[in-house]
Amino acid sequence: MYPDKEPIKPTPPETGLCPDGCGTLPECAPLAVPFVPFQQTSPKRYNQTDALNNGTLFPGLNLPFHMKKDAANVSGGPLGELQALEFVLLELGLYLDTHQADEEAFALFQQYAALEKAGREKYESLYGPLFQSATAGQKAFSTWIKNPWPWDLMEGGKQ
Amino acid sequence: MFVYEKKLQYPVKIKTPNPKLASVIISQYGGPDGELGASLRYLSQRYAMPYPELKALLTDIGTEELGHLEMVGTIVHQLTRNLTEEQIRTAGFDTYFVDHTTGVYPQFASGYPWSASTMQSTGDVIADLTEDLAAEQKARVTYDNILRLSDDPDVSDVIRFLREREIVHFQRFGEAIRLAKERMDQKNIYLTNPAFDGPKPKQ
Repeated sequence: MYPDKEPIKPTPPETGLCPDGCGTLPECAPLAVPFVPFQQTSPKRYNQTDALNNGTLFPGLNLPFHMKKDAANVSGGPLGELQALEFVLLELGLYLDTHQADEEAFALFQQYAALEKAGREKYESLYGPLFQSATAGQKAFSTWIKNPWPWDLMEGGKQ
Repeated sequence: MFVYEKKLQYPVKIKTPNPKLASVIISQYGGPDGELGASLRYLSQRYAMPYPELKALLTDIGTEELGHLEMVGTIVHQLTRNLTEEQIRTAGFDTYFVDHTTGVYPQFASGYPWSASTMQSTGDVIADLTEDLAAEQKARVTYDNILRLSDDPDVSDVIRFLREREIVHFQRFGEAIRLAKERMDQKNIYLTNPAFDGPKPKQ
């Protein structure tokens, strides 16, 4: 049922790094404790659109089910672009929770946070507030109430 | 505190009503391995977690799960919009309809209401994090099975996304156990429960 995969090759000695879909384990580990390999620092990443389409920023963690292997194709549009930026930020945040020392990932987090902030402000100026507090920048409070709610929303703010 | 953001994490745009599919997907709203239980499990376990990086992880994953709860609620809502008289009689959906019309209610696919008995908060670091690994796997299987039952690409795209999140969360909880272990007694991590005893046993 599951697709056959190439057997994982042992650690290449020249780089000291495992292949991207693998992580690190201690050579000697105490008994009676579950071990999941640590994702290595600087893992390969998708761009923001492919990250949202695949449900992860990291190709090494993209492990789909045989009934639905192909990535989605989330149509761009202003909301989709903002969702992609915010998703990268969220995914990097979870990674950083367990990889605090990865400075490169934190620098990337800072870059995406700036992009997301700019993208959100642009979106809100065109399509209405995403946070109730952002309604203060609108002409009337009714934009918070009357603009479509997410379960009613279709792409581009159409209902 | 929590602040509401008026958007979904991932777009949900379902064109075709399908009450039968809604009546199984409701299990990821309020079922035994659904998103309501996931969010409450992680957000409740935070209080006994003694280590700051793991307080952060439980908060961040628990918050994401609330976003997934909203996505699953949206799927159920969109699958049950504008139903015909005939559609409300769909076998499997009629028993939901009689109690809830087309409101979204947290229940198992079998109709059993959401129950806190499906989750744990043990107040023990290793037990809670190991439960979280299992919880992500159980949710992943449920999404696998929804993919087997769904023939609507609008639905399957969203389920594929939610399923992949379970795998990423499993990875992070696995790393969390390793981080917790590093802070515990290196010869015997079961010597104490650091959430209750502190790093050294209480006398």
